[in-house]
Amino acid sequence: MANIAAQRIKREFKEVIKSEEIAKCAIKVELVNDSLTELKGEIAGPPDTPYEGGNFVLEIKVPETYPFNPPKVRFITKIWHPNISSVTGAICLDILKDQWQAAAMTLRTVLLSLQALLSAAEPDDPQDAVVAKQYKEHPEMFRQTATHWTFVYAGGPAKMPDLDDKIRRLTDMGIEEHNARVALSSYNWDLERATEHCLFS
Amino acid sequence: MGFDVNRFQGDVDEELVCPICSGVLEDPVQDIAIHPTGNNLYTLVYCYEIVAAYEDLQVSNVLQAPVCEHAFCRSCINEWINRQPTCPLDRTPITSAQLRAVPRILRNLLARLCINCDNIVYGCNAIVKLDSLTSHLEQCEYNPKRPMLCEQGCSLIIPKNELKDHNCVRELRNLIQSQQQKLADMKRELGEQQLQINEHKREIHLLKDFMRALRVSNPAMRAIADQMERDEVVRWSATLPRARVTRWGGMISTPDELLQTMIKRTLSEYNCPPHVIDELMENCHERKWPPGLNSLETRQNSRRQYDNYVCKRVPGKQAVLVLHCDNTHMPEDMMVEPGLVMIFAHGIE
Repeated sequence: MANIAAQRIKREFKEVIKSEEIAKCAIKVELVNDSLTELKGEIAGPPDTPYEGGNFVLEIKVPETYPFNPPKVRFITKIWHPNISSVTGAICLDILKDQWQAAAMTLRTVLLSLQALLSAAEPDDPQDAVVAKQYKEHPEMFRQTATHWTFVYAGGPAKMPDLDDKIRRLTDMGIEEHNARVALSSYNWDLERATEHCLFS
Repeated sequence: MGFDVNRFQGDVDEELVCPICSGVLEDPVQDIAIHPTGNNLYTLVYCYEIVAAYEDLQVSNVLQAPVCEHAFCRSCINEWINRQPTCPLDRTPITSAQLRAVPRILRNLLARLCINCDNIVYGCNAIVKLDSLTSHLEQCEYNPKRPMLCEQGCSLIIPKNELKDHNCVRELRNLIQSQQQKLADMKRELGEQQLQINEHKREIHLLKDFMRALRVSNPAMRAIADQMERDEVVRWSATLPRARVTRWGGMISTPDELLQTMIKRTLSEYNCPPHVIDELMENCHERKWPPGLNSLETRQNSRRQYDNYVCKRVPGKQAVLVLHCDNTHMPEDMMVEPGLVMIFAHGIE
């Protein structure tokens, strides 16, 4: 790893550890290996959103050319959000792409920006088109789905018995639970269409 | 890339830290010696914005309009600008041509910081001011690559860590070999140059013959050539400084060969037109001087007219040039074409 990248990451790591946010348990960062090329991030779901109460784990890969190029970040925890792929966890956020600024951004600001992204989705610049469509056309449905995903994958507090029932109906048919959840989420919890999708496509 | 903050004594102010590499600002502009890490002192540069409204004004004014004034290590900001021509802190458009050295106050603050030596891992515990780090590293006893003088007799200067395996005979033999190689290359080059010079000489000779023939066969050409030669002398005369003779009595009317050769060489060095140099040198002896000067007796008679001469200095010599073109006001028995050379024992200013 280049000297400059190592020097930066060390400092940014300390910055996160010393930050106010870590005191409030809002963000967290851990080393994965000694070489500082890979880190594990964690952000708390912001209040008054479907993600509240959940903890979302992130994979942070630091490129050799850091800080001249942005870190590569994706969600390890599955999440239902217009700008985050429900399949791969890939994130669509400008500062992690062409709007990256070597001198102004750090691990801490990246984590805080991702937290802000959870509060304010950008459905017009989606990473996951299915989620974005639901977000725009059926906002209430979106909220429930996102809350449900937070409960299941991120340790969120709100259990959604109705949705669990529908998933059980599919798993009873021998469909894997996660696939059932994805199908139902994608078809606005229309049991018939989700079943059709799971069985015949 | 800047210096690791941990190498400094006490806390380093955030203002002195490069926001790109997060090290203490460093600049290779004043790159005097590169020390073992390849680091150099003080690479600070500012980014300035050219404001659109200023574009019609002089460029110098525009560059004086600093907008964001953020400081970075030179290598860091150049690396960033290569990727994206904006300030990496606030996205102000910038180019590398707009980067300026930071003000003295910031440089002074940096110079005052105390840093540990690069060779701390080799046991050097020195702590020096940042501005004297380079000079310390040159002399640091712990520097594994410190230049050392071989004391076994060859007097070569070698890095300390190579001293152990150093063999005088082998090193000197290598040196001789490389010198011989160089010598052979130069000899070959010299031979080629000589060949070219001879070729040029032959061509010039041919050209001269041709011109002479042209001049003889065509009177108009002769007039033009004469005019050109005269003009050349006038131009040359203008480049020489005026001389003042304080003692006309110091004149040497019969200079010997040695003296003449010396003066001729000086004239040639100072770009005397080649077509007049021989004639001028002929006129440095009283036997070629005009009637008013050619004997002690006539010279005594015309003595009071001497000060009317316009004399030019023969640079660095006790001699003056009295050119015909500068002295058309003199009577005929005091002047000859193309001019006189008067050599003195002393008395020229």
